[in-house]
Parts: sequence; C-alpha cells; structure tokens
Amino acid sequence: MDITNILFAGVGGQGILTSSRVLALAAVHAGLDVKMSEVHGMAQRGGNVDTHVRIGKEVPSSLIPEGAAHFLVSFEKLEALRYMHYLRPEGVAFVCPTEIHPLALNLRKDESYVKDIDKVLETSAPKLVWVDATEMAKEAGDLRMVNVILLGALSTRLPMGPEDWEAAIRERFSAKVQEACLASFKRGIQYVSAPV
Amino acid sequence: MRKLMLGNEAVARGAWEARVAFGSGYPGTPSTEILEALAVYPDVKVQWAPNEKVGYEVAVGAGLAGVRALVTMKHVGLNVAADPFFSSSYMGVNGGLVVVSADDPGMASSQDEQDNRSMAKAAKVLMVEPYDAEEARWMTREAFALSEAFDSPVLMRMTTRVCHHTGVVHPAERAEFTPKGFVKDIPKFVLLPNHARARRVKIEERLQKALAFSEQSDLWNPIRKGSSDIGIVTSGVSYGYVLETMPEASVLKLGITNPLPMERIRAFAKTVKKLVVVEELEPYIEEAIRAAGIQVHGKDILPDTGELNLPLVEKALLGHVRDKVTAHPGDVKIPVRPPTLCPGCSHRGIFTLFRDMKLRVMGDIGCYTLGALKPLAAMDACMCMGASVGMAQGLEKFGGPKEKGKTIGVIGDSTFFHSGLTGLVDMIVNRSQATLVILDNRWTAMTGGQPHPGTGKDIHGEDAPQLNVAEVCRALGVKRVREVDPYNLEATRKILEEELAAPEVSVVVAVAPCLLGARIPKGEPVEINLETCNRCGACIRVGCMAIHEKDGFPDVDPDLCGGCGVCEQVCEPGAISLPAGK
Repeated sequence: MDITNILFAGVGGQGILTSSRVLALAAVHAGLDVKMSEVHGMAQRGGNVDTHVRIGKEVPSSLIPEGAAHFLVSFEKLEALRYMHYLRPEGVAFVCPTEIHPLALNLRKDESYVKDIDKVLETSAPKLVWVDATEMAKEAGDLRMVNVILLGALSTRLPMGPEDWEAAIRERFSAKVQEACLASFKRGIQYVSAPV
Repeated sequence: MRKLMLGNEAVARGAWEARVAFGSGYPGTPSTEILEALAVYPDVKVQWAPNEKVGYEVAVGAGLAGVRALVTMKHVGLNVAADPFFSSSYMGVNGGLVVVSADDPGMASSQDEQDNRSMAKAAKVLMVEPYDAEEARWMTREAFALSEAFDSPVLMRMTTRVCHHTGVVHPAERAEFTPKGFVKDIPKFVLLPNHARARRVKIEERLQKALAFSEQSDLWNPIRKGSSDIGIVTSGVSYGYVLETMPEASVLKLGITNPLPMERIRAFAKTVKKLVVVEELEPYIEEAIRAAGIQVHGKDILPDTGELNLPLVEKALLGHVRDKVTAHPGDVKIPVRPPTLCPGCSHRGIFTLFRDMKLRVMGDIGCYTLGALKPLAAMDACMCMGASVGMAQGLEKFGGPKEKGKTIGVIGDSTFFHSGLTGLVDMIVNRSQATLVILDNRWTAMTGGQPHPGTGKDIHGEDAPQLNVAEVCRALGVKRVREVDPYNLEATRKILEEELAAPEVSVVVAVAPCLLGARIPKGEPVEINLETCNRCGACIRVGCMAIHEKDGFPDVDPDLCGGCGVCEQVCEPGAISLPAGK
C-alpha cells in the first residue's frame, strides 16, 4: 500500500490539530483517501501532543508506526526530539526553532531542556529543515499563522496541488483570516524553495 | 459526496440521517464531540444531562414517546447509567434507542480500561462496532432500525481511535421515519417482577431473532475471501491493522458483536487452515469461539492490555515488524512534558494551599486531578466521578486523630452536580465532620468547556437556568457554607482553617470561572526582580508553565503568564510584582 505518513508534534494549544485538519482537507480535495488520528481530553492540557495524518489511494488505519513517518512537522524543538523515532532514517523533519520549557520541578537543578538540542536534532535527522515560522508569523503580525507557514513548507514535498491547499485553507478558516492564511502559506513555500 | 469528518462527527451525521429527534449524554473523552456535532443539525433536540444515568433515562422517555433517541457517554459513564441500561433491555423500545459507549483502550484520558463489550452481553442488548468514520455514520443510521426491528436498545461500542480519527465520509440522504407516538403497554413498560419475568423470556427470543439476522448479514458481518492459509476474525479499529498487515488474508469482520454469529464464524473457520482473532483488550470474541469448540489463536500472540497498533499486529501475524529502523536522537534523556493546569488556572492557588497546609485530600475527576502531580502533589486518592465526597467522609470518620481536622474532599462543580450531591446528603445525615471543597469554575473544563447546571447556558450557547452551588448546599441542609476567591490565598487559607476546625460538615465553594470556558483574555504578565529574589523556588513549586528556571533564577514567559498573582503571593522576599492596576 502506497501511503504517505506525516506526523505533527508540539505542545497543546500550538495549533497542531488545525494543521493536520487542513492537510487532511487538502488530501480530500485532491481526491485521495486520508485517515488522521488526534488526541483530546486530559492529554491536551499543556502536555505534548501528536497527530498522525496518513494519505494515499487507500488508507486502512490511522496510526503511524514508529520508523514509518516520511515527514515530521514539529512546532517545538524538544517535541521534535521526542517524536524523532517515528521518522524514517531518510525522512524529512520540518522543525520550528521554538523552545517551550516543560514544567520545572526544582529551581536549583533544573533538567527541563536538552543541552545543545539543535545539534542533537540535526544529527538524528540528516534531512532536517529549520523553519522559523514563529519569526515569520511575528513579521506577518499574527502569531497564529505559525501553522500555515509550516504547512506551506511541508506542501512542497506532497502530491496535492496549490488549488487543493487553497480550497482546504478556505474551508478551515473564517473569511476574516483566509487571505492572511493564504499569504502566510505562500511564505512557507517560498522559505524552503529559496536558494540558500 | 466526500466529506472529512471526525469519527464522532460521523456518528452525529448518521443519527441525523436516521431522523433522531433527541440526543443526550454527559461529556467524557472520547465521546464528547458527538453531541456537540449533533447540536448543529436542525430538527434535533440536544441537551447535556447532569450525568449519564439521567441522560439515559430522558432518552428512554423520548423513546417511549415514539421518537428516535441517541445517548452518548464514555465507557465509565455506562457504569453510571448501568441501572437504566440493564433494565431498559427488559422494556425494549418504542422509538429506536442507540447508546454510544466510547471506550478508552490505553487510557489516554481515563481511570480505567474496561471493555464494554461485556456490558452489552451482560445486559443482553444488541451491539455494533464501527471501524472508521464512514462506518460510524452508516452504522449509527442503521442501528436505529435494528433497535426497532429487534425491540432492543443498541449499544454502539466505539474506542478512542475510532472516535478521534478523522476520515472520509459519504453522507447520504435522510432515512424515512415517522414518530410512532406513545403506545400504552403496561406489561412491557412497567417492570414489576411478574411483568419482568415475562419480558425475560422475550429477551431470549429477541436475541435469537437478532442472531438469525446477524448470521446471514453480509452487510454487517462481511467476509473478505483471500488466502486459505490464515483466516482472521476481527472487529472495530483492529480491522484496519489487519487489512494493512495482511491484505492477502481471509477476513471475517464483525460489525454486530452481540449476539455473535457463531455459525458464520464456524463456516469461515472451515475455509482456512489457521484461525486468528485480532481484537483489542479482552478476549471477548476469542473466548466465545473457543467455547464453541473451534480452535483459535488470539491473546496467545497479542496483548490483552492497552491499544493495538500496526507493529503489534505485524508481530503477531507476520512474526516481525516492518519498519524497524528509525531516525534516532541517540542517548539523550528527553524531559517529560506531563499535562498541567493552565497558566492562570483558578485551581493552582488552592492546591498550593492544600499542599502547604498538609491536608489529606480526597480528589475527584476533572482538570484539578492534575493537582496530584508534582510539584503540587496535593491529592491522596482519586477514584471515580463524585467519589471524593464519600471517601472524605469515610477517611475522616475512621482515620483517628491524625486525620481529624485535616481531611477534605475536593470536587469540581460539574462533577458535584454529576454525582457529588448524594454524597453530600450522606455527609449531612450521617453527621460527617469532614470539609468539602467545591471548585466552582462554571464549566466542564477537562472535556473542552461544556456547560453544566451551574453554567447558565445550554449546549447551543443559549441562556439556561443556572443553579448556584452554595445555595444548593444550603438548601440541602449544610449549615456552614462559605464562598471564597481562590486567587486570594490568605483569605482562602483562613476560611479553610476555620471550616476544618468546625465539628460538623462544611462546604467551601471556590468561585472563579475557567479562563478557557469563559474565554477570558490573558492579562499582563508579572515581573521578577532578580536582585530581590533569594532563589527559594516557592514560585516554581506552584507548578506553572509560565515560570521556568534560567541560569539558576526563575524566569517568566510573558506569552504565557496572565498575571494571576499566585506566584506573587507565595514569594516571601516580594521579588515578584503584579502588572500595574492589579
């Protein structure tokens, strides 16, 4: 079965659910089958959150096995590391260089973040792409744009066409923010397409 | 038409297509979104009940009136509704009745992992199990017809990964259904012992009829003919793992799992060399097959706890896992990120007090159960909805002088209306001296902010009658009822001390709305003066995501901190200052 697996990771409240839903909608517009799995309830309260999206001609189940993700999209660095083992060794990780510290328990010997995390991430996923979506969203004047910027970056590697993405974004977001979302989405595409 | 839907949204769609007139239930992960989605459709009356038992009973009443009714709950909610669930089986139905039990294998958001397939068997009602969103739609739609055809409530058993997966659904036109009106039938609907004895026989007759239907139904129990080397019997979410692991295998997929079509299974088993049951949790299908004298594998190669997934099924069926090599961070310790109370949450201050006052705390089910986690660690027991009240009474009565004057029960307002009221009645009449703290934040917060009897809103956001927690307690007969502002730690501590010392039952109501439920915008952050800070760590120990350690000093994240002031009140050197105007 030819299935593309995309894992989204981050911290509850970062917009991970919204991103995965837009991706799934784009797949539907492209005539593909899609299954997505998400987390609700207690796990959402400030804890780590992951959603699984699987697209293809026929998708029987919704959970991505470890080592089977073609893409990892992480909204936060520590969470990229936490879910890294879901990625295939040759898989691509899109990581937003945001740091959200987990709850500290002790002031004097705090171990709430991994030292040299950038290097650890780059070593574990050779095909890692940094996407500073937070910075771009700040420039655009709306922090909520982080998710569409990351989606824009991801979209360059997926089979859906620009019209499928536009339809998905228009379906998911209210008329008030649609144009801003589309512009930010394009910004994400340009960011990873621009020659370095 | 192809439409993307959450499994729970698909249940709502199926119910609407079946012309359901009424939906009821109590919020509980992973079931909550069903009623929220149903409430958006026209021509359906949808309402949250104070608990699952009441929700079930109102649905039975609606069914007696001749309309179709849906009632939804999480797996443990069916325990609360078990009394009407078991007895309604004896009554049968007038208008179709479908009850959704959303089980939580792996306990993503629950206190237990019970497999409610055994509940359907014990109650002798029909049971159906969808595997994905599209099946959730059409099975819900058809379950109402089954309910009426076989005169039985139908239990639709779902699991987290079916409820909370999103997939492609093919919405259909609405079915024809004309409400029947009330039909007077005393021997059927009045469960006096002599009536119930007659109904008991009817139950067996109805199950036999349903069995005959299930045995020959290719729609509900389809067989996928494949290799004769292996035949797999499966149901629910496991079907997807089977398809993906062994697309070549022969598969009998059971959509109706009570009663089990054993002759169909026997005939299927004869066509294959080896029979395997792939099912999550209990060996429910496997044991029945074995009892019928058919050789079968199941829990000898698959786990009976936790969720199944593709690798587990691959290992069981193929002997190996397909994707073994993964990207790997190497030997790095990744700090955990457990769920925690939101920055600014009204529960943080009061749990800080419970900890610092060294109270014995009987907890309950809600966001505030997170008060049991470090660094608060201010809860000593938590069992099930409403249990804090009774447990506090029992512990205080028998704990001796060590527990006297320091035992409290702590319960949220939604949970109090759900099943804390009767516990409080018991405290009063049996002269408990324990103290009950009710966290009145006006919303059922953990499940995403649903209204409850104390909210003053209904599921549509329309104004509704609002019950006042303190007034309810006084009306029941509690003489000592005090309201406190949980953001004011000193005043709250004083009142807690007074009520704990009082030799009678007292109730302390902590009144402050849930910031998320009431959509209260974030305020300005606090500031920390590092020159005054003595690094005692008291601010870190209130357990707030907005404060973390930086170079040995506390650091405030201004994007998260809304200046609630709890850390400011525990800071002895006064290094934390509130935003101007607070």
